[in-house]
Amino acid sequence: MKIAWKQIVWRPETLLLAVFVAEFVIFAQTGNNFTSTSNLFEIARLSVTIGLLALAMTPVILTGGIDLSVGSLLGLCAVCFGKLWRDFGLPPLLAAVCTLVIGALAGGLNAALITRLRLPPLIVTLGSYSLFRGLAEALTRGVDNFTGFPASFLFLGQGYLFGVIPAQVPIFLAAAIAIWLLVHCTVFGRSYRAIGFSPEGARFAGLPVESRIASVYLLSGVMAAVAALIYVAHVGQAKADAGSGFELLAVTAVVLGGTSIFGGVGTVQGTVLGLGVLAVLRNGLFMSDQPSELANILTGALLLFILAGGVAVEKLSALRARRSAPVPPLSHE
Amino acid sequence: MKGRHFREWSVAAVLGLVLAALAVSAPDFYQPRQLAAMLTETAPILLLACGMSLVILCRQIDISVGSQFAVCGVAAGLMAQQGTPMPVVAVVSVLSGAAFGAFNGMLVAGLGLPSIVVTLATMVTWREALRWWREGEYVRDLPTGFQWFGLSQELGQGTLLAIAVCIFLGLAVALRHLAGGRYIYAVGSDAEAARLAGINPRWITFGVFVLMGALAGLAALVSAVRFPDVDPKAGTGHELRAIAAAVVGGVAITGGRGNLWGVLAGALLLAIIAPALVFWGAPPQWERAIQGGIILTAVAADGWRKRKEPR
Amino acid sequence: MPETPLLQLERIRKSFGAVRALRGVSFELRAGEVHALLGENGAGKTTLIKVITGAHPPDDGAMYVHGKTVHALRPADAHALGIAAIYQQPALFPDLTVAENIALALEPLNPFRRVCWKTRRKRAQELLARVGAEFSEETEVRALSMPEQQLVEIAKALGSGARILIMDEPTASLTQKEVRLLLGVVRKLRIEGVGIIYISHRLEEIFEVADRVTVLRDGESLGTRALSDVNSAQLIRLMVGRDVEAIYPPAGYEPGVTMLEVERLDAPKAGVHEVSFSVRAGEILGFAGLVGAGRTELARVLFGIEPPAAGVIRLRGRPIVVRNPRDAVAHGIAYVPEDRRRHGVILEMPVAANATMAIHRRLFPRGWLRRVKEEALARDFVRELGIKTASVDSPAGTLSGGNQQKVALARWLATNPKVLILDEPTQGVDIGAKAEIHRILRTLAAEGMAIILISSDLPEVLGMSDRIAVMRGGRIVATLNGASADADAVMTAALGTTGEAAA
Repeated sequence: MKIAWKQIVWRPETLLLAVFVAEFVIFAQTGNNFTSTSNLFEIARLSVTIGLLALAMTPVILTGGIDLSVGSLLGLCAVCFGKLWRDFGLPPLLAAVCTLVIGALAGGLNAALITRLRLPPLIVTLGSYSLFRGLAEALTRGVDNFTGFPASFLFLGQGYLFGVIPAQVPIFLAAAIAIWLLVHCTVFGRSYRAIGFSPEGARFAGLPVESRIASVYLLSGVMAAVAALIYVAHVGQAKADAGSGFELLAVTAVVLGGTSIFGGVGTVQGTVLGLGVLAVLRNGLFMSDQPSELANILTGALLLFILAGGVAVEKLSALRARRSAPVPPLSHE
Repeated sequence: MKGRHFREWSVAAVLGLVLAALAVSAPDFYQPRQLAAMLTETAPILLLACGMSLVILCRQIDISVGSQFAVCGVAAGLMAQQGTPMPVVAVVSVLSGAAFGAFNGMLVAGLGLPSIVVTLATMVTWREALRWWREGEYVRDLPTGFQWFGLSQELGQGTLLAIAVCIFLGLAVALRHLAGGRYIYAVGSDAEAARLAGINPRWITFGVFVLMGALAGLAALVSAVRFPDVDPKAGTGHELRAIAAAVVGGVAITGGRGNLWGVLAGALLLAIIAPALVFWGAPPQWERAIQGGIILTAVAADGWRKRKEPR
Repeated sequence: MPETPLLQLERIRKSFGAVRALRGVSFELRAGEVHALLGENGAGKTTLIKVITGAHPPDDGAMYVHGKTVHALRPADAHALGIAAIYQQPALFPDLTVAENIALALEPLNPFRRVCWKTRRKRAQELLARVGAEFSEETEVRALSMPEQQLVEIAKALGSGARILIMDEPTASLTQKEVRLLLGVVRKLRIEGVGIIYISHRLEEIFEVADRVTVLRDGESLGTRALSDVNSAQLIRLMVGRDVEAIYPPAGYEPGVTMLEVERLDAPKAGVHEVSFSVRAGEILGFAGLVGAGRTELARVLFGIEPPAAGVIRLRGRPIVVRNPRDAVAHGIAYVPEDRRRHGVILEMPVAANATMAIHRRLFPRGWLRRVKEEALARDFVRELGIKTASVDSPAGTLSGGNQQKVALARWLATNPKVLILDEPTQGVDIGAKAEIHRILRTLAAEGMAIILISSDLPEVLGMSDRIAVMRGGRIVATLNGASADADAVMTAALGTTGEAAA
């Protein structure tokens, strides 16, 4: 029992939960109306867009990859949606479906370059980061701003269910549950981990490594499109610069949530918690009349602190646990 | 060996083609003033790209350079505002950059943390700290000795280019002809083999990050003196421009391969797109898309070549 | 010889946990001598080298270099004492040129020193000429073949002015012509007064180049002889001489139908040349041969990791195509790989997840993980194979080597394979677990599985196999009857001392 306790205490989620609770306690004191229901829902609303990206980023990082293009893709999808709706006259629903297809295609491009040409995800998605943002700028000639969307569409980002729950919260919850199931309850999630730990080992186990890797980038692309729709509905406009920097916030939430950037280790609930810590930090500081910059600085510092702390804990335990005796070199290899 | 520098030459060839096409279709591009403006704008990016190339050669990455750039630029501006002599301003700017680099290097080389996450965190932290501190305010009322180093625009541009060229040449030569430069390649190519050869990969990695920071500081100064005041948002996206120039120039993201001449060609190629679009009457908004396309084409070509060549 | 030996080892002992790799080895190397070190795989040669180069400190015993006692030798000290080793796996920088690889090993460490490329090239040219290399010093190492990289390593050692040079199977992957050149280099070095410890399985080379030979067996040195006093038959007997049959479980059943048939399978890239063989249900076909003879490569081709260039694979008489491991699994071919820690299991994942990794489709047909089912299956295997683990949730990396191997085995047994290929299944495994693995293999064979057992452990191959295929240079050079074959016959075929007639 003792050992089980230790495992629970040292899980990154537990540490993060402590930070989360501490934030609540502090901001409840310092903030005006911080703990009011409406404010809490406001926190949720603001974090949905980045949250969706972070959810999809979790399996990507689990496989040992990274997708830096999601912020740009969000911008591209937002612009495409606006163009399809305004310039091509498609009804919002059809335009939304087309946008999802565009997201899938963009994710497919990343997937193809990564799995077919065996290129490092970091550099591929860095390239598509520029490409997608560039296409968004090109489509709008850098100035075009799509506005005046119908109220039925805006409800997605601005409406309330039962008068209190922001409309996008159920969507986020559905996505979170879906990705949680994918990562934790299906053979897909199992193979993502295996690939993250050891791509070669996964191949020798007969797992379809390439198609599994492709699936996470595809998912990431589609999710960026979903996030784009909600973002547009929320702010009521679609500009080429939508979602700038969101990829970094998404990665931060995932890594903060205990997912190892080297792959294999991580949970979806950790990501949600990481996201929560980020969102509450932002909102709490805002409600306490602190500048938003402070929130960002603390975000960066928290990320470094948690990473360095993880390494310190690892080194300590490595010192204590006598690593299993070195494998005797009985052969010539 | 067939084409040891094939990759560098092919980028140079594409650059040459664009230049030739411009010469035919838009000779106005070659007006000295136009060229000088383009080159002085590229100089800071080139400096960053050189530093980034060293980092990537070492099989690391640094995405915090844009933020380092911004902080160093503002710091330089503020010091100049106080009446500090320009040489001191320059030294402090470079040193503060080096300090930022040392911080990254400590976490990456010392603790063994992944550089992508470390520099992601420092990127956000420095950028936001600057915003908090300056509240987005420009550094204005700079003494006359600041812009163009107090020289005429032409002379200033000349000085600036001379600095960039000297640093570039110095780094290119050092990378090729100093043992330390070769150690960077060795560590990036196989850190374990480097360790067996007696090289300490940690110190090399640390040193490379420090150098990157120092170059960011210098680039910030070189960039800031072009204007009458200092923009605290300067350098946003510079990390990606630097990485793009390095990758297009043939520096392999997997470390150990590439050289600065290719990076020069890459930086110029990416820099020339915007003016070329203008001269060809194309919408300038396509610049980023084309840049992204060039990056992807370059890495895809690398991947294709690697697949074809036998192990 | 009145002069002091270059290197002298007395009663060196070294254990790794429970495994006693060296149990009192004495050895002496004189200046201007080529001293061959001979022994089966696992006899302790590699460990001995690691002791001499300072990579492993010995537990007990004395070591003298140039007559002076050496304590707590570290790799850097060994280098300073003029000890250099050339391993089979070169430690080179793939992205740099040959000249630079050599230079980085020889030039003083000072980052601010100027690099003189002309000197680098000239020295590299000289050294490459001395080892008889035909590639340019400007070539990038990644473009070189394995033997060529080997030559670069030798050039590095030559350049460092080593007085004691250890060559660990330097010719294992070289062509005949390259071997001639290399032996020439060795002779030249001997004249220069260098002492060379020469490890090779190729007896003819040893007779050609070495002055004395020391045979190691089970971590003990069986004395040193002048090569003029012994013949190859005597050496082989010294290497293998021991009673082996007793500890292996007996077969006692008849093989059934032909399960797997391979005809002229060719994969030159992987180093497999026109291999033909067949294995029947209930049969254990042993694959013997030296390290690098092409056995692992053959297994990888059969499992779809390396593509074959030509040839036919038939399963129960029907030709099959294996393009990737998935195809192989679908056809009922299972492969327990050689490198357990990298390929066999995923160390960070639990025993249960490792055990079910190859049967996702069967166990979870809808794609949903079903932990109860999975853990029940894993527990069955833990019981059946006697896997010692705290629970099926423990990461595989926390298990001992033998138990990790059983987990890898469980993964493939779960697929109900028709053909089971095992690559060095008992390497680095303690004796108890080894015996259990042997017992399991016998049971599986009795249940009608066709088993291909690749092993460098000669007694194991002899004790377990119904038939033994011996490979050399990517070909099957002999197929022996398991009951009548003995160690001499296998070694003779593997070493190739009596020509290829047996094939």
